[in-house]
Amino acid sequence: MSRRRRVSPVVWLLLPWALVYGAFFVFPFLFSFVLGFLHYNPLNVANTTFVGAGNVTRLFGDADFHSALRNTLFFVIGTVPVTTTLALALAWLLHAPLPMKDAFKAAMFLPSILSVVVIALLFKLFYAPGGALNETLRALGLQTHGWLTDPATALPAIMAMDIWAAVGYYALVLYAAFTSIPESLYEAATLEGAGHWATFRHVTLPMLKPALGFVLVMTQGGPLGSTNTLVMMLYDTAFRRLDYGYSSVIAYAVFILSGVFSVFALRRMRSQTPVQQRGMPA
Amino acid sequence: MMRYLRWIVLLVAIVLMAYPLGWMIAVSLRTSEGLNLRYYADVWNSGPFDRYFINSLAVAAVVVLGNIVFCTMAGYAFARYRIRGGKLLFFLVLSTIMLPKQVILVPLYIEMQRLGLIDSYWALTLPFLVDPFNIFLIRQYLLGIPTDCEEAARIDGAGELFILFRVVFPMLTPVLAVVAIHTTLTNWNSFLFPFILTNSTSMRTLPVGLALLAQGAYSIDWGHLMAGAVLSALPVVVAFLIFQRRIIGGLTTGMTR
Repeated sequence: MSRRRRVSPVVWLLLPWALVYGAFFVFPFLFSFVLGFLHYNPLNVANTTFVGAGNVTRLFGDADFHSALRNTLFFVIGTVPVTTTLALALAWLLHAPLPMKDAFKAAMFLPSILSVVVIALLFKLFYAPGGALNETLRALGLQTHGWLTDPATALPAIMAMDIWAAVGYYALVLYAAFTSIPESLYEAATLEGAGHWATFRHVTLPMLKPALGFVLVMTQGGPLGSTNTLVMMLYDTAFRRLDYGYSSVIAYAVFILSGVFSVFALRRMRSQTPVQQRGMPA
Repeated sequence: MMRYLRWIVLLVAIVLMAYPLGWMIAVSLRTSEGLNLRYYADVWNSGPFDRYFINSLAVAAVVVLGNIVFCTMAGYAFARYRIRGGKLLFFLVLSTIMLPKQVILVPLYIEMQRLGLIDSYWALTLPFLVDPFNIFLIRQYLLGIPTDCEEAARIDGAGELFILFRVVFPMLTPVLAVVAIHTTLTNWNSFLFPFILTNSTSMRTLPVGLALLAQGAYSIDWGHLMAGAVLSALPVVVAFLIFQRRIIGGLTTGMTR
């Protein structure tokens, strides 16, 4: 009797989640696995062939995949330290009784409520001939540049956009962590005769560790998704070249890469503090 | 002294950050006849832009409502019931939070096509009704509040439905505010899935419509494009400015408890 009463509500409480999750995540996810073994063209379904591991070996030899992977890595290694350091600096600056603090916070948060499309257009204009960057350079008597058309500057330019879009939000996360450090620790440090740097190094930084861990972990996803180059390739393969089978293998590569990373992230978060905060996915 | 230095450095940083945004607004307002709203009027009257707007609004409303009800149910189940295999189930929830959704883009498209739901409101809402992150938030929040009220109601003979929606639900207001904000922002700004799952103009949402504007008639017409970008961002920016304290608090510290 009591057993039935404990079990039955759970079923209907979890039912909506289970249905949506099963139908629109688990099923497509498994379906994708099957597709990975096929050569499947939606315009010619009758000619679907089983290629076994063919798509996988093709992926390992695909120069496009190699360069997408390289770009993704370069992107992560280039943006994460910059975003984290800048966010920490901004949070530290903000952590004082300042006039107009709310306005500052609002301005810093603003980029994170914009859609990827708006941000992309914004920066397409920013880097364009006659855009903000080139016009400013021209006014200063410097050389203008085709930032997005020159392959050497295109990726860094997009990385700068990513940092712009992310830094304010993480600064506010770190600022929240700053404000939760008990004042007594600082008083103790002052009594011990610790200077500014020593206090920062030995009191502030250790207390910020969980929040910093969170920022490090989350920035790797990037607000715009650091796997962008890989996702672009996935999209192209599926919807332009109509090669669904191969695109599924690329999807699984993205999945495995982020899976490895998630394990690391979850472990890191658990070892330091219960998972507390999370940003908005792009 | 130090304080003013801080303030000035911050101000400079924020002005630098706001520079591209300011430029965007300036470009959208500067027409051949001086500063006016002509580009905005053009974009709005370009036909479907008002339709995009209505679509975005309707889809966001349904998705937010679905998340509030369904994630509360699931979060409540995970927080308050001993479920056989519950650990594994909750691990599934957690793992979906971390994984990039783009992985299922292609198979979801095929599935929707087979179900005949491509290019419908179903495709824009159904897959997004239960965001696992919201389940996680609600569960964490519930674990932090005592079960006294629920027990009292149960002793008084209240049914589970009554307890969930009349006793627990009102206690969840702070976390549900965060859920609503987070879901609204994610949904309003989402591009890739709505782009793939719809194909007629009348089903497009704002970010998709804006991207199409950029590929179509206005591809290098910055004035019109930026007016479109500002128009599409305006509702969330206005909402943000009204509720900024709550939004910033909710999405940076609100979950520490």
